[in-house]
Amino acid sequence: MNLKEIKEILNLMNENELSELEIEREGAKIKIKKAAGEVPGPAVRPVVEYAPPASTSLPAEPAAAPPAAAKTVNISSPMVGTFYRAPAPEAPPFIEIGAMVEVGQVVCIVEAMKLMNEIKSEIKGKIVDIPVANAEPVEFGQPLFIVEPA
Amino acid sequence: MFSKILIANRGEIALRIIRACRELGIQTVAVYSQADQDSLHVRFADEAVCIGPPVSSESYLNIPAIIAAAEITDVEAIHPGYGFMAENAHFAEICESCNITFIGPTPETIRMMGDKVQARETMRKIGVPITPGGKGVIKDAKQALEVAKKIKYPVIIKAAAGGGGKGMRICHNDVSLTASFGMAQQEAEASFGNPALYIEKYIADPRHIEFQVLADQHGNAIHLGERDCSIQRRHQKLLEESPSPALTAKLRKKMGDIAVKAVKNVGYRGVGTIEFLLDADGSFYFMEMNTRIQVEHPVTEMVTGIDLIKEQIAVAAGKKLTIKQEQVRMNGASIECRINAEDCRNNFMPCPGTIKELNLPGGFGVRLVTHIYPGYKISPYYDSMVAKLIVHGPTRNDAIHTMRRALDEFYIAPIKTTIPIHREILEHPVFIQGGATTHFLEKIMKNEAEVSK
Repeated sequence: MNLKEIKEILNLMNENELSELEIEREGAKIKIKKAAGEVPGPAVRPVVEYAPPASTSLPAEPAAAPPAAAKTVNISSPMVGTFYRAPAPEAPPFIEIGAMVEVGQVVCIVEAMKLMNEIKSEIKGKIVDIPVANAEPVEFGQPLFIVEPA
Repeated sequence: MFSKILIANRGEIALRIIRACRELGIQTVAVYSQADQDSLHVRFADEAVCIGPPVSSESYLNIPAIIAAAEITDVEAIHPGYGFMAENAHFAEICESCNITFIGPTPETIRMMGDKVQARETMRKIGVPITPGGKGVIKDAKQALEVAKKIKYPVIIKAAAGGGGKGMRICHNDVSLTASFGMAQQEAEASFGNPALYIEKYIADPRHIEFQVLADQHGNAIHLGERDCSIQRRHQKLLEESPSPALTAKLRKKMGDIAVKAVKNVGYRGVGTIEFLLDADGSFYFMEMNTRIQVEHPVTEMVTGIDLIKEQIAVAAGKKLTIKQEQVRMNGASIECRINAEDCRNNFMPCPGTIKELNLPGGFGVRLVTHIYPGYKISPYYDSMVAKLIVHGPTRNDAIHTMRRALDEFYIAPIKTTIPIHREILEHPVFIQGGATTHFLEKIMKNEAEVSK
């Protein structure tokens, strides 16, 4: 996490009038807490706690909600394993951002104990984001695809 | 030594294991159900993986989920804790086949000791005294009656695949034995998936004395003394202590030597506990062996000064025992009270809910093991134990005084707990004199019920 990112996070907090924010990502964790009762604005001096990366930890969802979102639904992982975007290493991904997905359509594979499990969408809509990278480990309940329902 | 271990458990035991690993320089991976996402074990571990929804069968008992979590975090070993899959031979086998060390004995040993009939027979052959009983599985009520005639009433029917005090029936005569037999078979099938039953002589008023054993993979085995776990409610332990007020040094040596002999004979590895029933006349009988770390292991740790979890991990990593039997000393006395979120004044009804106020006991001689904190939600999905309060003192009397003091400091609201019943036990003359047998708690509760009518 660099200074630019931290400044962006501080702006986000001010815009959304947040007093506390904790983000954990790719082995680094940062917690920012504003002193209570103060009006958000450039005059505020937030307390920044930065925990150095210990070991690789699985990405967790940021505590703050992203600004200005249309209503979205997640396709979450029903199991623990490794996430794959495509049926095979050289094959094209099952689905891309911006594409429409139908109910029952296979969107990815989660591999566990050498078994490839096809994950099917339970929603119809448009894929607006894929927060997990190919070949990354995923846990139960982790969002794999963000979908804008049709 | 392992560099990374996954803890396939939750609550206080997961914390216990994480603490030992931290001191040993081992990285830890916690697994958790969605109900436990705010748990301390999740926060204290180096990494955490959500493995399923709250229901145990889909999370803490979900073998594919746990193995998958072990694979993606690249651990070398899995510590199963107690309960859940600690004595699941199938799980131990799967770990082996995935090249992950299962911290415990071999699947074969787990199986052998898990089959209570086979365990009895194995012990009998080694020369360990066993409760008089039928040989092997009892096929039908007719055979049961023959056995009962030989060993004399009262008898107890037990499930071969049972254990831990579950699925047992006491019969005092032919009529009740005939009536109970069929029902016991059905219950055993329902609870353990196996209707096989065996029969033992029912020892009327025994003490429950268990010996802690520790064995490495190089043929060395020692015992770390006994724990007296006679204070039970419906066969579930509530208060444990070490040493037992009923054991003389001579009896301790006799029982301890037998425990070590049994362990060496079956090629055991890791920590384990051999449970005996001790009769008033000093005769003792093998009851069962637990092939895992137990809830009440801290009382042994307090008295011997030995960290059982660290020893367990070291043995699993192939290290030789560094302690010899002659070096094991039992110093002073230790008592553990299991603090459960149960209303002990209302038939021990479980009390899940959010802890709003909490004051934890402390001071010299107090060891508190807990995963709760103010604001913690006790969920209804798992067992009700919220803390183990352990004390140590130079004498049993000192330990009793310290425990009373510590219990008085322990404040939890609005959750109801077993603290009041522990306070009562510690004031009771029978307990203070060291005379509590396995019927003690039942008796005092029955007296209370009658008094309050």
